Amino acid sequence: MRNKRLGCLSGSGIITAIVTILVIAGYVYARGGLLYNPGPLNAQRGEALGGVTSHAETGGNCEACHTAPWERATMADRCMDCHSGIAAQMQDTASLHGKALRNSPDLACRSCHPEHRGADAPLTEMDEASFPHEALGFSLQAHQLTSVNQPFACSDCHRQDIYTFAADACKNCHNEIESAFTVAHSAEYGDACLGCHDGVDRFDKNFSHPAGFALTEGHANLPCAQCHTGARTFVDFQNAPSTCYACHAEPAYHAGQFGTECEACHDTTAWSPAKFNEQHTFPLDHGDGASCATCHPSTFSNYTCYGCHEHNEVEIRSKHLEEGVSDFQNCMECHATGQKDKDGGDDDDDH
Amino acid sequence: MLRGNKELWLAALTMIVITGVYGSVVMLTRSIPPAREVFGHSLGIVGFVLMLMTETLYSLRKRSRSVRWGRMSFWLQFHIFTGLVGPYMVLLHTSWKFNGIAGATTLLTVIIVFSGFVGRYIFTRIPRSLDGLEVEGTLSQEALKQARRLLALWHAVHIPIGIALFISAFVHIGAALYYATFLK
Repeated sequence: MRNKRLGCLSGSGIITAIVTILVIAGYVYARGGLLYNPGPLNAQRGEALGGVTSHAETGGNCEACHTAPWERATMADRCMDCHSGIAAQMQDTASLHGKALRNSPDLACRSCHPEHRGADAPLTEMDEASFPHEALGFSLQAHQLTSVNQPFACSDCHRQDIYTFAADACKNCHNEIESAFTVAHSAEYGDACLGCHDGVDRFDKNFSHPAGFALTEGHANLPCAQCHTGARTFVDFQNAPSTCYACHAEPAYHAGQFGTECEACHDTTAWSPAKFNEQHTFPLDHGDGASCATCHPSTFSNYTCYGCHEHNEVEIRSKHLEEGVSDFQNCMECHATGQKDKDGGDDDDDH
Repeated sequence: MLRGNKELWLAALTMIVITGVYGSVVMLTRSIPPAREVFGHSLGIVGFVLMLMTETLYSLRKRSRSVRWGRMSFWLQFHIFTGLVGPYMVLLHTSWKFNGIAGATTLLTVIIVFSGFVGRYIFTRIPRSLDGLEVEGTLSQEALKQARRLLALWHAVHIPIGIALFISAFVHIGAALYYATFLK
């Protein structure tokens, strides 16, 4: 005996098919999309958008987010119908959503914001590497690996939830890496790290100080706070004094004679020796290798010729009085070139 | 026993291998493979294709008059093998959640497997040749008549369950394609 008709075309088969379809259609009519067991929508309440305060409040109304195959609109269009603020952000490449889209133009809302994962499930789930973290004011460029060379997890810095930055996260890690520096730095500048640090500029030992004020020689190893006193923001740092005299008081022996262009005579190696090449009223080659202090022991507005060669005061006094020169203290009057005679000659008789 | 029920042994062996793979995935990921992800999804797709083959190929071969590929006894063994392994994979695909139409489909799948077991033992009560044709003369007329009646009754139950199952499965697959795979 051989059946000639397919079982599904038998009377009971056709009736079962009709009943099954009616049951499914009835369920869809009564319960909507719940038939498909999509998983609960997120129930965390936010601001009222599109008449609801959470996705869960849309109930089984699949059409609120899902578009029909024959529609041109996409699910993202449905998202933006309610989330108009985000729609505006997507046009602004400086904002988080604008930057995310610029980096990955094919992203759909649901690429980062999955749904139907449960009433309390997070609504944002994104590959850390492609998340434009810099759009939030802190780049992860310098934070790829933790102090123990493990990739960073979001929860390393966002312990409470993804939207909240743990204020002590920087300190905890950096204490492990560079304890002494962190303690000192924190004491100097406080713990609001993000006020100055944006994750791109690394103000560490590899930090390149702005070219306008290169940290050379004597400036190289100073604590930052010595110049950037009380700075708490990046702008505060930019406003640090850049003149020498803001930090260095002019020595008394300058006697106000040299102005404020310190670099004309000094470099950052040390204050001394200084070079002085401008209008010196006396030949600087006088006395090979003599320092400024040889002639200017107290201030640069006064000089003395004593202390060199045979120039001691008793001898000079006696010699000059002998010649009838009473103003012998005013050496430059007669010895402007540093030689014995007035004209630069070396003849004792000219006195 | 092994010779007489080799499709059952083969199915059991295959199911043990699948269980091993499933167990390894559970151990490695420390979670039940979700139906929507690669492994869980693959289980569902392969399992359903096996179930579909179970039904269509066996039915077509049984009714084909012009082309007779393979002996009917082979196709029955094939039907039993895929009818066990396919539903088992579909069961693992559920990630042990049985809500909505997917749950209903799973329930129908379990029912039809049991129904298949019952049918197999009714079917084998009637002596047959390797081509599935009844062999006359080994049973009394009365016993044969009773067995045929039982088989006809079983068919009237088994096939409608299968029809409900496949309609339900197609709605589930259509919804999965629309609401997950081809989201726009």
